[in-house]
Amino acid sequence: MTAIGTSVARADGPLKVTGQVQYTVDTQLPGMLHAKVLRSPYPHARVLAVDATAAAARPGVVVLTAADLTNLDHAFGVALRDQPIVAIDRVRFVGDPVAAVAADTPEAAEAALEFIDVEYEPLETVMDPEAAAADDAPVLHPVERPRAPMFVGWPAERFRGSLNVCSGYHVEQGDLDAGFASADHVFEDTYRVPPIHHGNLEPHAAVASWDHRGHLNVISSTQSPSIVRLQLAEIFGLTENQVRVVVPYVGGAYGSKVYAKIEPLVAAIARKAGRPVRLVLTREEVFATAARHACTVHIRTGVRNDGTIVAREVRAFYDTGAYADTGPRASKKGGYLAGGPYRIEHQSLTSYCVYTNKAPAVAYRGFGVPQVVWAYESQMDDIAARLAIDPLELRRRNLIRDGDTFVTGDVLRNPGLDEALEAVAEAGDWGSPVPEARPGFAIGRGVACAIKSTSTPSNSAASVRLNADGSVHLLTSSVEIGQGSTTALAQVIAETLSIPVSRVTVSLPDTDVTPFDQSTISSRTTFSVGRAATDAAAKIRQQLMSLAASQLEAAVTDLDVDEGSVFVRGSRDRSLTFAEIIRRHFGSPAGSLFGDSVFQTRGGLDPLTGKGKASATWFYSAAAAEVEVDLETGKARVLRIATSADVGKAINPAQCHLQNEGSMLTALGSALFEEVVYDAGQPTNSSFLDYGMPSLEDHPLEFHSILVEHPSEDGPFGARGVGESVISPVAPAIGNAVAAALGGARVRELPISPERVLAAVDQQPEARA
Amino acid sequence: MKVGVQINERELELEVATNSTLIDLLREDLGLRGTVEGCGVGVCGSCTVLVDGRPVSSCLVLAADVDGRVVTTIEGLGRNGALDPVQEAFLEHQAFQCGYCTAGMIMAVKGLLAENPRPSAAEAKDYLSGNICRCGTYEEVLGAVATAAASSDGGGD
Repeated sequence: MTAIGTSVARADGPLKVTGQVQYTVDTQLPGMLHAKVLRSPYPHARVLAVDATAAAARPGVVVLTAADLTNLDHAFGVALRDQPIVAIDRVRFVGDPVAAVAADTPEAAEAALEFIDVEYEPLETVMDPEAAAADDAPVLHPVERPRAPMFVGWPAERFRGSLNVCSGYHVEQGDLDAGFASADHVFEDTYRVPPIHHGNLEPHAAVASWDHRGHLNVISSTQSPSIVRLQLAEIFGLTENQVRVVVPYVGGAYGSKVYAKIEPLVAAIARKAGRPVRLVLTREEVFATAARHACTVHIRTGVRNDGTIVAREVRAFYDTGAYADTGPRASKKGGYLAGGPYRIEHQSLTSYCVYTNKAPAVAYRGFGVPQVVWAYESQMDDIAARLAIDPLELRRRNLIRDGDTFVTGDVLRNPGLDEALEAVAEAGDWGSPVPEARPGFAIGRGVACAIKSTSTPSNSAASVRLNADGSVHLLTSSVEIGQGSTTALAQVIAETLSIPVSRVTVSLPDTDVTPFDQSTISSRTTFSVGRAATDAAAKIRQQLMSLAASQLEAAVTDLDVDEGSVFVRGSRDRSLTFAEIIRRHFGSPAGSLFGDSVFQTRGGLDPLTGKGKASATWFYSAAAAEVEVDLETGKARVLRIATSADVGKAINPAQCHLQNEGSMLTALGSALFEEVVYDAGQPTNSSFLDYGMPSLEDHPLEFHSILVEHPSEDGPFGARGVGESVISPVAPAIGNAVAAALGGARVRELPISPERVLAAVDQQPEARA
Repeated sequence: MKVGVQINERELELEVATNSTLIDLLREDLGLRGTVEGCGVGVCGSCTVLVDGRPVSSCLVLAADVDGRVVTTIEGLGRNGALDPVQEAFLEHQAFQCGYCTAGMIMAVKGLLAENPRPSAAEAKDYLSGNICRCGTYEEVLGAVATAAASSDGGGD
């Protein structure tokens, strides 16, 4: 069979090109009400009183305020349970929910919001994560909230500062002072990344209803059906089998829909209404629900004259906004990856997760890693320039190699990093003369590489069902968010059972039916769910062989499987199709066989030392960019970009390339123009009129996606994962190309806007411009 | 108010609110949910439909304004169970991921090919720059445009 490594057509294609695909926003239930949310106009304020009497008196209107939830500990969060469904006594960002209304139409609900009176007392705000960490900062959460059971706690006290530091991470190796003492050059810089928007075109949406058993039914556009079920059960005091979470196709997520977001609010107001309630966020509300972590990275690096990096100290301040959400985990990941994919003897890496009065920062493609890669890969080219070493060569001299021990203690096996780096260098014509620029323009090239880990420990279950006619179902709670999971998972099953891919159907999540999956996050679906599905399919294969052995009167060891049949090796005429085996087994052409499997990764980092096993597999990637800069306006334009990722094994190469292309474009937007802007605590560009994302016009004139295949140990058929690999190196590759074009003038804060380019040139009078 | 409109080759007489948008008419009144909303301000292109053969953002058009016009949505493409050549080309090139922009993108390509049956890549990029695909499936969309343009009827109607 050749199901693996083939760009088979996507299973969801016919639905998506015809508009038949169903998203959560398309859900209609009988008697369904529509919800709207009253949100805080203040970035930080005490809520003195909420008077919803007039709104509740309107016909057909149901209002939810904190007064309805006094019997619940309704604050939720996967790391810290700090985010109330609606404000209890305080609001912490512009857009923080204060009350919700349900009515027959969205318009009626919207109108009723006007009749809720809220009395606020504004409080001092803090918008910068480093300022918020200081001990004199205004505090957002004066009372520390309990840790969620799932979260391995980090002793935040070690990292304070103020109570705004809700989590921290530290790891070290060697002797930092000795390392810097042995260096010939020391580089010390600060890099900054602003919050950016996910841009999921399908807004967050959820429909909740309660039945007469007291069971909660939720249809949601979540990436985390299994965890949302857990979170809802926890909030409402239910058992897991009293909560059902169904996830239709998801119209874009990129991290914005990981773990509970709007589901607790919709469930709460549906409970009060006694009817199904639907909430679909407006675009402005999506901006208020999720963002990528802004980050300030202080990085100090000691280097010898020969280019050997001997010491690195990083302190990264992750801005998690008003609530922790996944911030403690994203900042931990960025923390231990802040040294980069390099052999560095002496390291001290620290990250801080800090509350500010911004919208909550949540998971975002790359999960805390692009922020530190922007810092270390930009600084790498400053080092190369100072030492007059080619930037590619400087990286070669320091790259981690097979069998190296990472700063966390993980041993890195078979990394495809050097191959990925060389591949983009070749595709980007590294070392050949840069094309001559038009008058008034300059052209430069830049390169960058990165390493990323996957969420560990985690587990995924898969249930494979063989029908009597030989067709197969996979039951899984992994979410089709556009990455092609329903296709790739069918491929690994088809390969294991030696049947055509078209004979396998992959379910969408329904937690009443589909087994646990940690979440569709962290580039883990092909790796973890794919492995569970492969193992489950192998169990079906075993059952078929055992049944066929007695039916064919042959030893199991003499049997093999091919093209949907079990046959006796050496005599293909002694063969039974899967359908025939089942019919003989049940005495009827009806029935099914089951194979279940759980794939579990083990590990985790010790909260005190920061060491242990960080990741079950590792992702390596590189990018090379050629950028043209308009010297008059400062505007940068990407002419060419080459990207590569070590995918372990490309199950579906076309879909792997699409992951690279999507990662590249998101990174390109973040590099050149994307930024969620705040002015005195007020977001000022929460609309697509003001927040631009890459369009076809921004696509580089030339784009390469290269797949490197260094097999992983545990992934199905050696697959690693590919969803986030390329997002990290692209922005620094572009930044390095801009700096090269400008003779070394460097922008250290994203985005690389025309103003910042001109300012960088001004500060570097010796630059070519 | 009353609106007389042809939608996907059906002549309809509809009662619409004066402030109702075309996307509300399509999705809520007629159940044509293949057209979806992304930004609500006419920027992302997810809600693109054809009005008199030209692509428009249905979130910005008032339902009242389609009186006397011909509207085509994604559900109106293809005949007798066969897909439209543009839909076939999107399948061939795997020119979609999450699919949320896809219906709008396909309708925009229909508009492009109707105006310009053999667009260059630069012309296609320019014409389709109002249709955002956050999954970033742009090269594949350009490939689909080229394939649809090369198909016998040019993909246009």
